[in-house]
Amino acid sequence: MHSAASQWDHLVQEGRVHRSLYTDPSIFAEEMIKIFGGTWVYLGHESEISKPNDFVSRNLGLRPIILTRDGSGKINALLNRCSHRAATVCRLREGSARYFTCGYHGWTYSNGGQCVSVPGDDAYGPDFKLGRYDLARIARLETYRGFIFGTLNREAPDLVDHLGGARMLIDQWLDRYPRAELVVRSSAHRMVMRANWKLVYDNAGDGYHPPFSHRSLLLMTARRHGPDRDMSYYGTSDPDDCAMYTQSLGHGHTFIDQRPEMHADSAWKRQRPQPGRETYEAQLRRRLGNEEAARLLEVAVGSGMNLNLFPNLLIIGNQIQVVEPLAVDRVQVTWYATTLDGVPEEINVLRMRTQEDFPNFGEVDDGANFEACQQGLAIPELEWVDISRHLHTARERLDAQGILTGPISDDLHFRAYYQEWKRLMSAELNLTVG
Amino acid sequence: MTKDESSAGAPSLYVNDALYERLIALDRLWKQPGDPPAPELVETCERLIKREARLLDDGEFERWIELFSRECIYWIPLGRANDPRREVTVEFHDRRRLTDRVARLRTGSAYSQIPPTRTCHLLSNLEIFSGGAGELAARSSFVIQTYRAGVHRALAGWCGYLFVNEDGGWKIALKQINLIDGDEGQENNSFFL
Repeated sequence: MHSAASQWDHLVQEGRVHRSLYTDPSIFAEEMIKIFGGTWVYLGHESEISKPNDFVSRNLGLRPIILTRDGSGKINALLNRCSHRAATVCRLREGSARYFTCGYHGWTYSNGGQCVSVPGDDAYGPDFKLGRYDLARIARLETYRGFIFGTLNREAPDLVDHLGGARMLIDQWLDRYPRAELVVRSSAHRMVMRANWKLVYDNAGDGYHPPFSHRSLLLMTARRHGPDRDMSYYGTSDPDDCAMYTQSLGHGHTFIDQRPEMHADSAWKRQRPQPGRETYEAQLRRRLGNEEAARLLEVAVGSGMNLNLFPNLLIIGNQIQVVEPLAVDRVQVTWYATTLDGVPEEINVLRMRTQEDFPNFGEVDDGANFEACQQGLAIPELEWVDISRHLHTARERLDAQGILTGPISDDLHFRAYYQEWKRLMSAELNLTVG
Repeated sequence: MTKDESSAGAPSLYVNDALYERLIALDRLWKQPGDPPAPELVETCERLIKREARLLDDGEFERWIELFSRECIYWIPLGRANDPRREVTVEFHDRRRLTDRVARLRTGSAYSQIPPTRTCHLLSNLEIFSGGAGELAARSSFVIQTYRAGVHRALAGWCGYLFVNEDGGWKIALKQINLIDGDEGQENNSFFL
């Protein structure tokens, strides 16, 4: 037997990780407490609950929560569990409500979490106090430029420090078009895969897979729409023969930068044509002139950024992708579509058609590959998963800010986030709800 | 397929605000279908819908897409059929992107369909009615039983169809597939519904 700390040292090694991280239900149960509790986890975006009394139902790991904006405008993350017999008090995915009444015995809570009514409360004796039965809440809640994060770890660093090197990249993603405000109210694709949640997270920073896993998309695009479209910059013979790179930003956050290829000239020009392309481009050019239209059309296309905030937020293209573990071998990937307030409507229409493209033409093949990984991981005798690419090629560079940069196909992402994973799993965490 | 047949160089010009507004306005038609057309037109529509389902189940996607009109839409809303200009959909394709979708599956490298999903489309509760302006419309409930790689699944919902007469024959101008759970997590639906 290994001691607790050395158990994780054994399972997460420098260039390989153990299969049980993807298959062992007891490790999964511990992750749902420590990873999705011990660090800042993305919960939602402020624009999803923009008005007083708006709410959305979410999960922190496997814990159901309600994200509310109460009457005073304050954001709350409440544990969705009646203080009485544990039933969820909010059973809708989104809406507007000042109160949540448990359907079972009628206990009622304000959208700020206060217990305001218990039917027949005198039966609980003279010392009964409503205030003792408020909904539990996520102890710490902080936002960065609209992104709402929560943690049960009172000792976690402040959110801005935790985001660290990722902050500047969030800024760049949000500031692609001046004065435009990101809005997350355009529905979401939800895809379920029979795979461990980390197979999705692995893929988010894997710059090695596109020419292979997405071969069907690349082939179809080249055959039907000609060369130099979309992701044609991912070569197959030498994946690192390009201007793209990958980075470790600290705290398990990583980044793949496709911009040096995708946005080298015009991402709009290289985009495979999406429905409405010609109509709305012509409309914009007519109304705003070629120069302004051309600038705007670049934000109709994906950002060329893959920014991965450990453990569950993947900013990809123009979407906010959230990794939602369901079971050790089951995960939901939710792709929240985004629009921009402050750009002509044509841009947002084009963004809708663009944002549903990759889930249909690309993510489906990744999903099949994740499920194939999960099947292969079932073999007990074959214990290890390789994450050693570019570990010994001396092509990674550390800068003064502590950001480590490597070639695009580097497994840096895996090694970086697994260090943070191991740190959290090994730590004695003091997790509490408020 | 020859290179000319597969290339998509021609522009696609029909997806515009007028089209989107028409699609949203159709909601009234699906909720209050009108009277049936002449019996021979009812029979034509029925045959077209059944043929469409059969070609999908047989994996004959190139023949399937030829059942659609030149300016067709294949649309799977996310939950309610809201304005696709403001919300993403599960899928929303003009003919060009629908053809891309078929061509992707034919590359031999579309891993989501290796092995392919086997499907059985069951259609019921069929209502056929006038769609206005020389068009016909239909609404039917469906269950698609699927099997792939050891996994059985059932998808259910209702479809709205618009048919137009093009070059002397009736073609599908719109197939709107309303899953009962389109807004919930979907597994691998990379075949055609």
